Amino acid sequence: MSKVKVAFVGMTHLGLNSAAAAAVRGHDVVGFDPDQALVSRLSEGNLPVAEPGLDDAVANHRDLLRFSSSLEDVRAADVVYVAPDVPTDDEGTADVQPVRSLVEMVSPVLKPGATLVVLSQVQPGFCVSLDLPGDMLFYQVETLVFGQALDRALNPERYIVGCSAPEQPLPDQYQALLESYDCPILPMKYESAELAKIAINCCLVASVTTANTLAELCEGIGADWSEIVPALRLDRRIGQHSYIVPGLGISGGNLERDLAAVVRMGAAAGTDTSSIAAAISNSRYRKNWVLRQLHDKVLHAGTKPQIGVLGIAYKKDTASVKNSPSVGLMLALQGYNIVAFDPVAKLPNEIDQATVELAESALAVADNSDVVVIMTPWDEFSKIAPAELIKRMKGKLLIDPFAVIDGKLAHMAGLEYHTLGIR
Amino acid sequence: MALEHTNPEPGLPQRVVLIGAGGFVGQVLTAQLEAADTTVVALSSKDVDLAADGADVALSSFLKEGDAVVVLAAITPDKGRGVEPFIKNINIASNIAKALSASNPSHVIYLSSDAVYSMDEALVNEDTPAEATDLYGAMHLSRELIFKSEVKAPVAVLRPTLIFGAADTHNSYGPNRLRRMARDKGAITLFGGGEETRDHIFVNDVAALIGEVLAHRSQGLLNIATGQSLSYLDLAEMVAGQFSENVEVKLTDRQNPITYRKFDVVELHKAFPKFAFTPVEKGLADAHAGMLAGAE
Repeated sequence: MSKVKVAFVGMTHLGLNSAAAAAVRGHDVVGFDPDQALVSRLSEGNLPVAEPGLDDAVANHRDLLRFSSSLEDVRAADVVYVAPDVPTDDEGTADVQPVRSLVEMVSPVLKPGATLVVLSQVQPGFCVSLDLPGDMLFYQVETLVFGQALDRALNPERYIVGCSAPEQPLPDQYQALLESYDCPILPMKYESAELAKIAINCCLVASVTTANTLAELCEGIGADWSEIVPALRLDRRIGQHSYIVPGLGISGGNLERDLAAVVRMGAAAGTDTSSIAAAISNSRYRKNWVLRQLHDKVLHAGTKPQIGVLGIAYKKDTASVKNSPSVGLMLALQGYNIVAFDPVAKLPNEIDQATVELAESALAVADNSDVVVIMTPWDEFSKIAPAELIKRMKGKLLIDPFAVIDGKLAHMAGLEYHTLGIR
Repeated sequence: MALEHTNPEPGLPQRVVLIGAGGFVGQVLTAQLEAADTTVVALSSKDVDLAADGADVALSSFLKEGDAVVVLAAITPDKGRGVEPFIKNINIASNIAKALSASNPSHVIYLSSDAVYSMDEALVNEDTPAEATDLYGAMHLSRELIFKSEVKAPVAVLRPTLIFGAADTHNSYGPNRLRRMARDKGAITLFGGGEETRDHIFVNDVAALIGEVLAHRSQGLLNIATGQSLSYLDLAEMVAGQFSENVEVKLTDRQNPITYRKFDVVELHKAFPKFAFTPVEKGLADAHAGMLAGAE
């Protein structure tokens, strides 16, 4: 395998994990960011994001991975990825200006024959709008999953590559880099690749929305969604890895952004996007499942219970709280006594810090709580013994949407247990 | 737009004008606000004929700058659902809006109706598109738009589900009519098997929620419902159970398709996290006691 000189511009969650993966694959990697403080921090091994395996990957490949805020280091690379964060507003509209700015910053300094690859997700039409030479500019679809970012960067299912001329071979160094990951490479038009990323997310959302809708129906009619899931997975058309575990709506920001983009593009193109709009509406509805449970089961009595909240992050193995159901729940419970714990994530500023007491440990959340809610399915929460939980609680209500704790054990311990998809 | 509070700290306004205070909700609201030491200007049709020409001028004489105003006045569907009450109701709203526009209130609440939603929608929340299927629903939707467009102060639009309580005069198909059937005929006769589900809210809760909206000077849209739906069969049996003598619940051949209605009241929970609804059993018992005491 030939070693390729690669630079990643923008030491974001995406950029850092992708850079670490390229080093693990044996390439000569520079992680560039204009923020010198961030580069110093990275150089000391103090990583700003938490991902399984990332700390070790960076520490064990210091000979191949270095961090820099000098454009000279970018100039030396044969393949330069641009991977800044793309912020979205409350309507899910993406602001791609950071991508454009970095492209404008680095494209003049590239050495002749170098390849520039946009890795951040952009809306269809973006690459064409950059007006750069077609043999220089490519778009590569990222499929970052928080909590699995390094693994997915190391072992991609395939590479989707947006090109000016898909029928032409890719530049040699870029081809060599991609081939080192040993997966199919799918060149296609810029617009197709840009839309492919959105298409992937729409398919995931369709599965999630179906699961969420039918899981709630299970709760209404006495069926058990967890019994149905294995049957669906054995259907080849649905598949082993399909997104059919019920959840609390769509979080994290990226899927919401893509749904909003489809509705917007559909309106402009005169396309019926009502199924996508329905998924958005369903997600909004699902986010409040726990709040409904709390009002139905305990808050309707007008008392002032203490509510223990396990988990703040929007999903496990991440510190991100963007659109987190846990944060949404705590905002809707202002005025109640809340005790919360998360292994990594912090309370965001939008929550009045004075109203939520942070516990020292997961179990400490249970102390004197009338109800405990598990809002993020961190692995460590699954190790909590239901008998220990009920011993420390004042009440006995456990709301565990993601079934982190075994429902049967919880019942045996005397807890009143509620999870998604089962009455 | 879901409900948004404009008062940093809740507190009832000093003076509240109730337009349509003589009605079912108005009477309970007047009592609740007065019990909370708020000055209530309770206007009924005896004070001003809102449908008459020049009613805006007559109404203006009761209004002061800075008032909080609750608009409850409407010709209800038991008095007809046709074109005439529709036009009269629009004229009433037009006159009220003119008076409000001239008097510069601090806050306006309009009590609309869930009739603005189509019965094809089984699960309703504030995002559900308003799609009135009769003139009564269209009237409320039109009046919502009239107040929102003509009033400069924050406007809260409240869309209540079926309201019950002892003094209800409307006699729509709900707890009040079932109770009166039981009292007058010793039996409750349901449409079909009583399979339809509806959300019934106790009038005291409606008045208390209007009080909350006043105290928070909220603006935007909120459905006023409990989030709990009951079938008419279950409801009839609960109403029948209030009577000491045996009351038969009679089912009939179904003439119309079954429709369901359930409210997702998350927005209400978020707006007023600590609001606790009166359990339906208690509300029914209260209404029953009211009937025995001669309230109806």
